[in-house]
Amino acid sequence: MNAILPPLAGPARVRHVVKGRIVEGDGPEYGREPNRFTTPPLDVGALVWPRPTPTPAADVPVDEIIDVLVATGEVLRRDASGALAQAMERSVAAGFYPRDLVETSFAHLGHMFSRAAMEFMIAQEIGGKDLLDGWREVETPSGRPARVRAFPCRLLHVIAGNSPGVAANTVIRGALTKGAHLLKLPSNELFSAPAILAALSEAAPGHPVARSFSAAYWRGGDEAVESLLFRPQYFDKIVAWGGESTIKGALKYVGPGLELVAFDPKTSISLIGREAFASEAALEAAAEAGAHDATIMNQEACTASRFQFVEGSLDQIDRYCERLQARLGQARRSASGEPRPIARSLRDEIDGLRDLEDYYRVWGGYDGRGLVIRSDEAVDFYPEGKVVNVVAVERLEDAVRHVNVATQTVGVYPPQRKAGLRDLLASAGAQRIVSLGCATPEVGLPHDGFYPLHRFVRWVNDEG
Amino acid sequence: MTVRSELVDAAVHEDVFDRSYPDLEARQLEAARELFAERREQIPVLRRRATESGVSEIRRLDDLVPLLFAHTSYKSYPASFVEQGRWDRLLQWMQTLSTQTVTDVDVEGVTDVDDWMDRLRAAGHMVLATSGSSGKVSFLNHTRGDSEKKQRHYRRMSGWPYVKADNSRVVFLTSPSKGPNSAIEAAVNSAAVWARPGEAHFLTDEPLRLADISASAALNKRMAEGLATPGEIAFARVEAQVRAERMSAALDDFVEKLLSHRHEPIVVSALWAQHMAIIDRAKALGVEDGGFHPDSLVSAGGGLKGVTLPDDYKERVDRFYGKVIRNNAYGMTEMAQTCPKCQCGRYHRPPGLIWLLLDRDGERLLTADDGEDGVVEGRFAFLDLLYEGRWGGLISGDKVTIDFKDCPCGRPGPTILDTISRYAQAGESDHIGCAGTIDAYIRGAVAP
Repeated sequence: MNAILPPLAGPARVRHVVKGRIVEGDGPEYGREPNRFTTPPLDVGALVWPRPTPTPAADVPVDEIIDVLVATGEVLRRDASGALAQAMERSVAAGFYPRDLVETSFAHLGHMFSRAAMEFMIAQEIGGKDLLDGWREVETPSGRPARVRAFPCRLLHVIAGNSPGVAANTVIRGALTKGAHLLKLPSNELFSAPAILAALSEAAPGHPVARSFSAAYWRGGDEAVESLLFRPQYFDKIVAWGGESTIKGALKYVGPGLELVAFDPKTSISLIGREAFASEAALEAAAEAGAHDATIMNQEACTASRFQFVEGSLDQIDRYCERLQARLGQARRSASGEPRPIARSLRDEIDGLRDLEDYYRVWGGYDGRGLVIRSDEAVDFYPEGKVVNVVAVERLEDAVRHVNVATQTVGVYPPQRKAGLRDLLASAGAQRIVSLGCATPEVGLPHDGFYPLHRFVRWVNDEG
Repeated sequence: MTVRSELVDAAVHEDVFDRSYPDLEARQLEAARELFAERREQIPVLRRRATESGVSEIRRLDDLVPLLFAHTSYKSYPASFVEQGRWDRLLQWMQTLSTQTVTDVDVEGVTDVDDWMDRLRAAGHMVLATSGSSGKVSFLNHTRGDSEKKQRHYRRMSGWPYVKADNSRVVFLTSPSKGPNSAIEAAVNSAAVWARPGEAHFLTDEPLRLADISASAALNKRMAEGLATPGEIAFARVEAQVRAERMSAALDDFVEKLLSHRHEPIVVSALWAQHMAIIDRAKALGVEDGGFHPDSLVSAGGGLKGVTLPDDYKERVDRFYGKVIRNNAYGMTEMAQTCPKCQCGRYHRPPGLIWLLLDRDGERLLTADDGEDGVVEGRFAFLDLLYEGRWGGLISGDKVTIDFKDCPCGRPGPTILDTISRYAQAGESDHIGCAGTIDAYIRGAVAP
């Protein structure tokens, strides 16, 4: 595949998209080797949709939008122009993930534009297409007639770059809600969003939905840009993903008329009941599911499990650890089989525990093929790079004290234990309880405690 | 006498930084070889590191690179050991980084972490503690002998190349006089080498207590767990306020004393923010810029994290003290033999300190050939040959430029230019991910 592509020497040239139009050019340079890149000069004025004019897709029926998105998915799957392949090669060259994981992630993008998924999202998150296409009549208890509509908004998305799926999801959600959308590109995934928007323009050239999207890079927190753009005159909401600095940066500008929709930074965990030790087959199944959940996007995802609380005797728990470690390095759809050595700082932390054999036991090395630390207290550091801390507990209920508002997904084994735990977990702050092995994200369900589509629109009423 | 002790003991010579040491690099390598052979038998974490990286002997300086510890190594103990008062376990951890036996220290009846440190010190283990922004304290062991040699080095280094420390002065140090951290140790050393009897003035004699730091870390943990009550937070805030007022009153007295001695050669050492507070008080008392004795020694330092200073704070401090001796050195808690700054504004290398300049990622040793004309930028690491109590090899987060040629001041050997900065931490570079921890959700008790 490399042979047909231009060589990847010099800084990568990032493309911007302005209202559906691809913009190329040599402007400012950012980053350092191997992630040096240039962007076109930024024309901030071109990135806003003036208020007096409705957003381009406001009056396009949602069925037509779904057709356009399905066609976009086809363009992405075929990739006749090679644009997606090129974006993928750029991502590989940037080096945040091994090639195999970048390839599977990019290959999956087209499949995200599924008609069934979009129909389900609208039904679940909005409550019906009629609310997007027009005004739904409702009867109020007072007898006053009223009509309600999910009205399109102007959204500025500060997206996460730890998976190209975030850009695809943002485009799908943004298009279905008909608003105008500016995507601020993250420096760790500069290529997927422009490639997806290029596919959208190819599927429906000049279509109002294509004209509803822009994507650009500026350094996050750059006041020269953000103090101009982050204003209620231009945008209704800032949709901010992840890191503390993003959310705090956005908060500076939030005020009357400019709302923050935050996909906060999250940690995920697993709870494994003593049923896992009922048979060798059960143990294998639990370890397999635990390894799957721990390695989602090589454990860079918020859904990826980092702490696994296991009920059992120390001997049993050690058997689980051994089997888990053996599986963490495996290639999966959501994990690379190519090992990447774990960070030096993490190694220093783990080295400090290795000689405390009475309280800590470590399986695996620092080569990135998976490492498990067993302890009776959760470790102080943040496990990443296929590192799992298995914490021994008497009862799964004891793990609840480790759950807080930053806890997103809790995987439970076996699934029948969920019913007894889910209210406790939710009360402590957890947002998503799944059967162990099912931590990969699902569409059309709440994310981080809310329905994204519901928050992407403005609910407007016409009464009387 | 070993090569290593010869190099470290060069500090007995008053002109240690002016001398030329023939074959210094070869002798440093020999000393490193000697030291590693001894330490790998004594320090479990070093032994493990050596085994994993396949280094059995130091043949070249490159062999040291995989053996360097980081500041993280010294705080890799489980915080629960402190929270739950498992002092014996904390000793067990300390043992993995120590040369001498520490597990036999009596910890019966230890009440808090300060108590634990006192027991270690009483047994001759001069443990230093540092507190990072995370609130987790690191513990660095060294021997009483190390501590004495450190002071000997300090005597040679402080005031160099302008004046010699001779216990003739009135000394002002904006630090507590007691406490287990390296800033206090440096202040105590400064008092020991400069002050005439009874004329070392510290900001306070109230000892710095790690338990206070641990208490605030513990409160943060309770906040993360959702257990801290608003009352607890309010109480912590009041305590902080009371402490701040006490320090403010202490600073008033301190400044008054300082100003009354400003016409004689004195020694003043403070953090930048503390210098600014001194200036504010002096101004309020109607004391104008200048007026300090030109032989006075004024040093300033410290990070600026968490403090807001005017853009021209350095100029303001310069103006206030006027033409005095502004001595300075490059060092860190983990380093015993600091590097003093010459008239040309460059930091010089003590013979017993091996400088290791690494690439940004800390993987590869750089040499004079990696830059232009022998001037090379990289990550600073070192092996401090002084320590008997622990392994002296460390990789830092500092970005430095080393000139491998002789210094323009005429002294031989490489120098570090006055451009030291920090490498950006992961996450500071606009990489956005959806994963993160509860830390982002906690505001400090004191911050509103």
